[in-house]
Amino acid sequence: MTSMTSEARKNPAIVVGALLAAPFLLFTLLALAPPSHAQETARAKALGARMMCTCGCNQVLTACNHVGCTSSAAMLKELDQRIAGGGSDDLILQSFIQEYGLTVLVDPPKRGFTALVWIAPIVLPFFALYLIWELVRRWRHRAVLSPAGGPPISPELLHRARSESDKDLDE
Amino acid sequence: MDIFGSFALLLAFLFAVYALVAGIVGILTRRALVTKSALNAGMAVCGLVALTVATLEYFFFTDDFSLAYVAAHSNRALPLYYKFSALWAGQEGSLLWWSFLLSIYVFFALFLNRKKHPELMPYVGAILAGVQVFFLTLNNFVANPFHVFAAANSAGAMNVARLSDGSGLNPLLQYPEMVIHPPMLYLGYTGFTIPFAFALAALLGRYPGEKWIHITRRWTMVAWCFQGIGVLLGAHWAYAVLGWGGYWAWDPVENAALLPWITGTAFLHSVMMQEKRGMMKVWNVWLVFVTFMLCILGTSLTRSGIVSSVHAFAESSIGGWFFGFLGIIFIVCLAAWWKNRDYLRSDNQLDSLVSRESSFLFNNLILLAACFAVLWGTLFPVLSEWVTGNKISVGPPFFNKVNVPIALFLIFLTGVGPLLAWRKTSVDALRRNFAWPLVGGLIAGVVAFAFGFRLFYPLVCLILSVFVTLTIVSEFYRGARVIASRDGSSILSAVGELTMRNTRRYGGYIVHFGMVLIFIGIAGSAFNQDIQREMAIGQTITVGPYTILCQNFDQVANDNYQSDRATLEVFRNGHSEMMLYPERRFFLASQVTETVVANESTPIRDLYVVYAGRSPETNKPVIHAYLNPLVKWIWFGGVVVVLGTGLAMFPDRRAALVLRPVAQKSWGDAIAQATTGSRAPSPIPNAPIRRSTPHND
Repeated sequence: MTSMTSEARKNPAIVVGALLAAPFLLFTLLALAPPSHAQETARAKALGARMMCTCGCNQVLTACNHVGCTSSAAMLKELDQRIAGGGSDDLILQSFIQEYGLTVLVDPPKRGFTALVWIAPIVLPFFALYLIWELVRRWRHRAVLSPAGGPPISPELLHRARSESDKDLDE
Repeated sequence: MDIFGSFALLLAFLFAVYALVAGIVGILTRRALVTKSALNAGMAVCGLVALTVATLEYFFFTDDFSLAYVAAHSNRALPLYYKFSALWAGQEGSLLWWSFLLSIYVFFALFLNRKKHPELMPYVGAILAGVQVFFLTLNNFVANPFHVFAAANSAGAMNVARLSDGSGLNPLLQYPEMVIHPPMLYLGYTGFTIPFAFALAALLGRYPGEKWIHITRRWTMVAWCFQGIGVLLGAHWAYAVLGWGGYWAWDPVENAALLPWITGTAFLHSVMMQEKRGMMKVWNVWLVFVTFMLCILGTSLTRSGIVSSVHAFAESSIGGWFFGFLGIIFIVCLAAWWKNRDYLRSDNQLDSLVSRESSFLFNNLILLAACFAVLWGTLFPVLSEWVTGNKISVGPPFFNKVNVPIALFLIFLTGVGPLLAWRKTSVDALRRNFAWPLVGGLIAGVVAFAFGFRLFYPLVCLILSVFVTLTIVSEFYRGARVIASRDGSSILSAVGELTMRNTRRYGGYIVHFGMVLIFIGIAGSAFNQDIQREMAIGQTITVGPYTILCQNFDQVANDNYQSDRATLEVFRNGHSEMMLYPERRFFLASQVTETVVANESTPIRDLYVVYAGRSPETNKPVIHAYLNPLVKWIWFGGVVVVLGTGLAMFPDRRAALVLRPVAQKSWGDAIAQATTGSRAPSPIPNAPIRRSTPHND
């Protein structure tokens, strides 16, 4: 023990290394330890919220509890089993995709053709905004000052109206 | 009797065909008598379809199960009021109901305008007849509800056969709201046919000015209001009946109903730009066209089986008919617009980006972005399957992620738009109108944040809701104060006077306030809690401040269903607060099980309890309890929206006072110009604002 202490004094890198390794060690121990039920439930809820029920109800798996659903109870049980089996989230999702197809995912993958589902609703409004901008620019460019139809309001009348309305509004 | 119904339906089809053909002939030959007979035929269709509907209802009420449709959707034990609503429970009956409601609209549109707009009505009549021909074709030849059961007798001759009882109504539809919800929604869908017909007629006939907009404004508001009521009733039904704790799941059928409502909302706003400034003519015409096409698309999605939904009718070949009709409408609209596009030239240009006009532009952009996002998400699974061969799901999270920011921006515009003046808003006016509402909203946000309200979107929603509410209140107050000081009346009666002087504007504000309430209610969903557990008698579960004690499980039965029922006592802070009785019913005729939710609803929160059945492993009853905050605000907001819409349809009290010589600008004009905050230099560019109002719409 004393030799270890003296060794550490001689070489502070050991202390630093031990301090850095401790959290990793703790993390590994926690990861290897069997998860508590509460953790499993929370994880099942989170993973279940990333999947659709496949009965055709168009609901998220954890939200689907409609009577007579032929899928959700079995899928949730399957999910619990796979979580207990110890796979990572991605691995579990992949196993569900293998079994049910891409349709089991709540969010379409953000790659390839399906990325379009995410891109279009963002790009199109900006494109429309650009069109409006262009439209407004053209309108303003074309705007020509011309006398209004009918006689103009006299400056005296307008001044009186403004002061009356300002008075009314300030009261 | 079935022959009578079939005959009336066939006659209705023939009358509609005559109305279409004679209408076109009348337009081409300009023979008034032919046109008049076409319009009369169009009106007569209503009576004939009404006879058909009455005949089918007779079959339901007399339990005559010789009709396949009646046998499939009713049974002897079904309560009387559900026998009435069973008419639209299936494909054939719902299409007949659609035709019936459409024919009522057509009748009133033609009857009320029979002595008006002689240049416009022949086109309107022909277009409406064309739409009726399509639906009556489906009723007669594709989805006829009068098919009878037939059986061969001993001599080999075919006779009508009667079943002793029917299969019963889908239990999901055995709920009081289901008697009202589909008619409301269909009144919305079919109602948009009228503005569509007038818009297309005005374009085809090059009808001058904005008259078609004035004629159809109330029709559009009626359709929009019914569509909104239908959507909300559908949401309430899903909440109360489906038992999944929510009211909106972005289901394709829900989305299909929402889409025309969104574009209808955009139209009701942008139309004001055409009325006041003669702008956005092309845009408005296309908004009406698109709204009508979305109605047709919506019902085709529901009926074709293209998208999967629990609400959809069974997959059938009828989708092809709808898509064909949709194609024809699009081609007709496109051709009409292309041929007459010079007629839609704008009278004015936008003077400033800080103006009422630009706020309407942004409002339309945002609404159409929302519409596109919903449509895109709904149809993308189909598109993906076509392109890649892989079917994917686009679930509620996608719609929430995309639409929540859009909705928040829309609330912001709801507050900002009405306070901007037409043409241009001065900095002074901006400061005067926005300072206090903005400060109020921010204070509400800070207070909420201090009390632990930390979720970003609900917090922003709260700030914007307070901001919008304050802008609405300030608008009422400022106007009423002017009237009160001039007339010496109380502020309250001045508010009434102000509202009745410009029902459209102030009704619109009430609609905006209703929408704010709805958005607050929706924001409450961010704080939902739920717990699901197997429960034996004497066990408890806790959700939020409530502890639920299981008192008993028992069974009740009648001719229609058998029910498993839980008796639950709810405690709060140790005191018994209420008893709840969630049920699970087994309907005998259809052999289907359904939940009956026990929901204790208050303005703060709903305690929503579902008897989810028995656990397959332990056979113990499973109770699912939800605590859903602010849900009641959504339904209350819906009522406010309806009231505001109703008010906006009233004629203005001051309308008669507008008449005056044009030669001289009046005191009212001067007040109008002074109060808009506009300081545009004279000479005033182009045409002036068309109507003189103390407060602009």
